[in-house]
Amino acid sequence: MLIFVVIVIDYLLFMMMYSYNPVYSLLIFIVSSMIIYLFFRPNKGLTWLLLNSYKVDEKIVIEDILKQLYHNSNNNITTNFLVNALGYKDAVIISGIDKMIDSDLVYFDNDFFKLTEEGFDYAVKIVRVHRLWERYLAEKTGFDKAEWHGIAERKEHETNEDEAMELATQLGNPIFDPHGDPIPTSTGKIAEIDSIPLSGLAIGEVGKIINIDDNPEIIYKQILAENIHIGSQIKILENNSTRVTFYSEGEEFRLAPIVAGNIKVFILKNQEEIQDKSIVRLTALNPGETAIVEGISKESRGDSRRRLLDLGFVRGAKVSIDLVNPFGEPTGYYIKGTTIALRDDQALKILIKKD
Amino acid sequence: MDKITIKNIIALAEELRWKIGDDFHDNLAEGIYADAAEIVEDAIISKSNKTARLDNKIDRIVTSRVWGFPIMFFILGIVLWLTIQGANYPSAMLSDFLLGDIRPVLKSLASGVGMPWWLSGFLINGVYLAVAWVIAVMLPPMAIFFPLFTLLEDFGYLPRVAFNLDYLFKKSGAHGKQALTMSMGFGCNAAGVVATRIIDSPRERLIAIITNNFSLCNGRWPTQILLATIFIGAVVPASMSGMVSLAAVFGIAVLGIFFMFFVSWALSKTLLKGEVSTFNLELPPYRPPNFWQTIYTSIIDRTLIVLWRAIVFAAPAGAAIWLISNLNIGDQSIAAWIIQYLDGFGFIIGLNGVILLAYIVAIPANEIVIPTILMLTVLVTGMQAGEGAGVMFELDSVNDTAAILKAGGWTVLTAINVMLFSLLHNPCSTTIYTIYKETKSKKWTLIATILPIIMGLVVTFVVAQIWRIIAN
Amino acid sequence: MDVLPHSNCENCDQFNTDGLKKLGIDIDDFDFVVALAGNPNTGKSTVFNALTGLRQHTGNWPGKTVTRAEGAFQYNDKKYKLVDLPGTYSLLSTSEDEEIARNFILFGKPNVTVIVVDANRLERNLNLVLQILEITNKAVLCLNLMDEAKRNKIDINVRSLARDLGIPVVPTSARYKEGIPELIQTINDLADGKIICKPHKIKNIPKDIEEAVELLSVRVKKEFPNIPNSRWIAFRLLEGDAQIIEALESGVFL
Ligand SMILES: Nc1nc2c(ncn2[C@@H]2O[C@H](COP(=O)(O)OP(=O)(O)O)[C@@H](O)[C@H]2O)c(=O)[nH]1
Ligand SMILES: [Mg+2]
Repeated sequence: MLIFVVIVIDYLLFMMMYSYNPVYSLLIFIVSSMIIYLFFRPNKGLTWLLLNSYKVDEKIVIEDILKQLYHNSNNNITTNFLVNALGYKDAVIISGIDKMIDSDLVYFDNDFFKLTEEGFDYAVKIVRVHRLWERYLAEKTGFDKAEWHGIAERKEHETNEDEAMELATQLGNPIFDPHGDPIPTSTGKIAEIDSIPLSGLAIGEVGKIINIDDNPEIIYKQILAENIHIGSQIKILENNSTRVTFYSEGEEFRLAPIVAGNIKVFILKNQEEIQDKSIVRLTALNPGETAIVEGISKESRGDSRRRLLDLGFVRGAKVSIDLVNPFGEPTGYYIKGTTIALRDDQALKILIKKD
Repeated sequence: MDKITIKNIIALAEELRWKIGDDFHDNLAEGIYADAAEIVEDAIISKSNKTARLDNKIDRIVTSRVWGFPIMFFILGIVLWLTIQGANYPSAMLSDFLLGDIRPVLKSLASGVGMPWWLSGFLINGVYLAVAWVIAVMLPPMAIFFPLFTLLEDFGYLPRVAFNLDYLFKKSGAHGKQALTMSMGFGCNAAGVVATRIIDSPRERLIAIITNNFSLCNGRWPTQILLATIFIGAVVPASMSGMVSLAAVFGIAVLGIFFMFFVSWALSKTLLKGEVSTFNLELPPYRPPNFWQTIYTSIIDRTLIVLWRAIVFAAPAGAAIWLISNLNIGDQSIAAWIIQYLDGFGFIIGLNGVILLAYIVAIPANEIVIPTILMLTVLVTGMQAGEGAGVMFELDSVNDTAAILKAGGWTVLTAINVMLFSLLHNPCSTTIYTIYKETKSKKWTLIATILPIIMGLVVTFVVAQIWRIIAN
Repeated sequence: MDVLPHSNCENCDQFNTDGLKKLGIDIDDFDFVVALAGNPNTGKSTVFNALTGLRQHTGNWPGKTVTRAEGAFQYNDKKYKLVDLPGTYSLLSTSEDEEIARNFILFGKPNVTVIVVDANRLERNLNLVLQILEITNKAVLCLNLMDEAKRNKIDINVRSLARDLGIPVVPTSARYKEGIPELIQTINDLADGKIICKPHKIKNIPKDIEEAVELLSVRVKKEFPNIPNSRWIAFRLLEGDAQIIEALESGVFL
């Protein structure tokens, strides 16, 4: 492919040199850049698409089916369901299922597919690898939140057990993935969490966000755009069929119920656990005011989080605004004797209590 | 110690971690600070914070909406102006000394010991000339620029510049401190690359390294000024030519800044999006600079190290330049063959074979591009100028220089494209080597090298076509 | 443990400029290795220069010394190798500079660690100090920038600080060479074993974590009786630091 392109470019250059005309050469240039763009566009380029449409790897199909069965254990799963959910052709799904029945991963139960014990273990392993990768991407790389899922979706099929082990060790055997889902251990142990969808809370109830589902992507992106953070306390102000309104960290958020349904919360009953209403984000601090740091949101991860802690943004630290930027961002905060400038997306994740 | 017990310890650690949960790091960090607060409570007897806030008063001015930017442009402008203007005189002196006084002595020494012409030519007209040239042109501006810049650094002003400009850099996925590594690049790209150490976020540091080359360095300013004076200043009435050529040079520098932002943005969205990115910017207190110590270390640490690297690369380049001009294949020199071969491609992008060859052999230092171009032009046109094949030269008179270039077929388009290409081509070999040392990665070094050339070829090509379409 | 009075140093040796020697972590030619650690911009390189007579680049700008710089000085027939570590805010993170600093203090086993702090920002600086004190028990606090502290009317009770930290504290103004002789004398006494430290150990940790650390560090101590910093190892193991696990496995600590 590449050689072909090089030959074409060479030929074009030759043409340009010997029958030169600026208009033609400009046209040739534009056309050939467009061709190159079409072929090599990352993730959407023709080369990429061609390479990917040829090989539907059976292993990937099987593992994807396993995950569907694992995540939808309450539903009745049929071939149709799988075709819809995974987007493979019927024939591919059917041959995958055949293989799985042969190797005792699934069985039929009244026309519905169910996981065997072996299949369940296999599925847990895939889920483990997926969540480990998401955690890795969140902690050790700079990829944007919105990209974690997609990358982990690819990596989970390429990682063998030893590599998963190594990944886990490198991350310090984490318990939760960045969305708040538990990561199964290598022996299949899974931390328990009891949570309900945000949309299921009654007015006045207080809860803590412990999970934001990254699937489906459209809804996830909406939640991301709102700057709603895992670990934040929320209080429901309004909950009806058109919208869910809640208060959190000094701000009011308004979501459609279907969006709110993708946010899982843990209801706080214990009065002591319920935060003061005066806890707000650092971005809400005004020049001249002082405040005490309450902590850093769980949304700040990896090196960024550790750096903030190192710089003194720990519970109990006094903070005030020292310098306002001509552009409005970053802001210079005075903390523990030094002026430290932070950008707004960092300050959003620091919780304070104004004096 | 057997493996089993270690395994057991690690297993125990894992079990305990499971029990204490994910907040271990936070709790530890908070605990340490709590201890620190208690100790400080004990140890600090009196604390009045009044004078300490003098810093804050200065800060309110230098980061203010009204004064922040004027002060910044004024200071950086002064530094650049002092560098470019101030370097002229010592450069001329050094060049008189190294080329005018020493070289004849070396030559007579060589003939005294009966050295054959090709050996003395190779050594004196090739190696020595290139080295002398690089020293004469490079040393004075760096010896002015680095101490000035280091003094600003020592005073504590530079972090404020990063603070003021961070917003713009954030928009293109970069760090505010890149404003400083970029400014340093106006002095010397290799030093600018070293300076990226102040950026402690991996992604932003790589961006700053790869895009530093878009800062028009000291070695390229004279080329820009010369060509703008000869070709661009000449198309307007004489009374305005000074202003116009200055504006053209300034425009090229600004174009470089634009490319820097653009490429930073593109890199952060594509190649580098997976690299870890953090942000923090501490604004240290203002301190009176330690004048002499600063001058000393900036000369030793920055100027001489960069100069030495440049010399190491310039010597073989001088040798190569002399050899290709003096070794013949068939009836013409290697240089002439290469030029002939490159002319076609050069024409398409609005340059010519001489310019392309000059950029290839003068990769060690941008400073020797113009002397090489002049020498090669004389070589292929057979004019009577300079000192012979393979001997780089420059002329004191702008008019004579113009005459040679015009005889070489230069037009205004050629000049504009050389100015653009001088901005957009591979970093000099000193910088490439420095990038490798700083990144320890062949991949990023390669990308930092290739990317600007591709951009340069595309830009000059497009400009040439459009120019010709309009001109016809 | 006390701050040494000025008179101790009336017969100090002249500093011996040995030039920059890149010896890696090889300490054969030296009697003692001294590490210089501290937050960025606290004057480490200035102290380094004052001790070695070298002229390392200093600058008012956090984060310039990234590679390690080494030099040497001689005092009372003893040769000291001095290593200027990159400035860091902490040793708990994973940035390149921190790794260099942490690995040197942990594996390079310096005889003495000089922790340079900014007297004007003591609390912030103590964050790093307390971490270092978990790793090594031969350290001296160089309370630098005292001239600025005086100007800012910050009065520090050096005695109580030394008592709380359990290490000697030497106030200096490195830029004006004040306090340097006392610092040298203290380094000398620490290296010779004339001063024994009882460094502060981190206290304010939640109970469950403290218990876990205790359990783990007792186990580590039992298996590796020679390590002075079993508590720090326990901290790192709880954090899942892959490098420390590897070091345990490879037997660096034996
Ligand atoms: N006033 C004053 N300034 C100092 C002192 N020690 C260092 N400095 C200045 O503090 C800045 C940082 O010093 P440097 O040695 O580079 O710090 P490092 O980053 O810790 O190596 C420089 O501008 C020094 O001149 C001191 O004792 N008094
Ligand atoms: Mg330093």
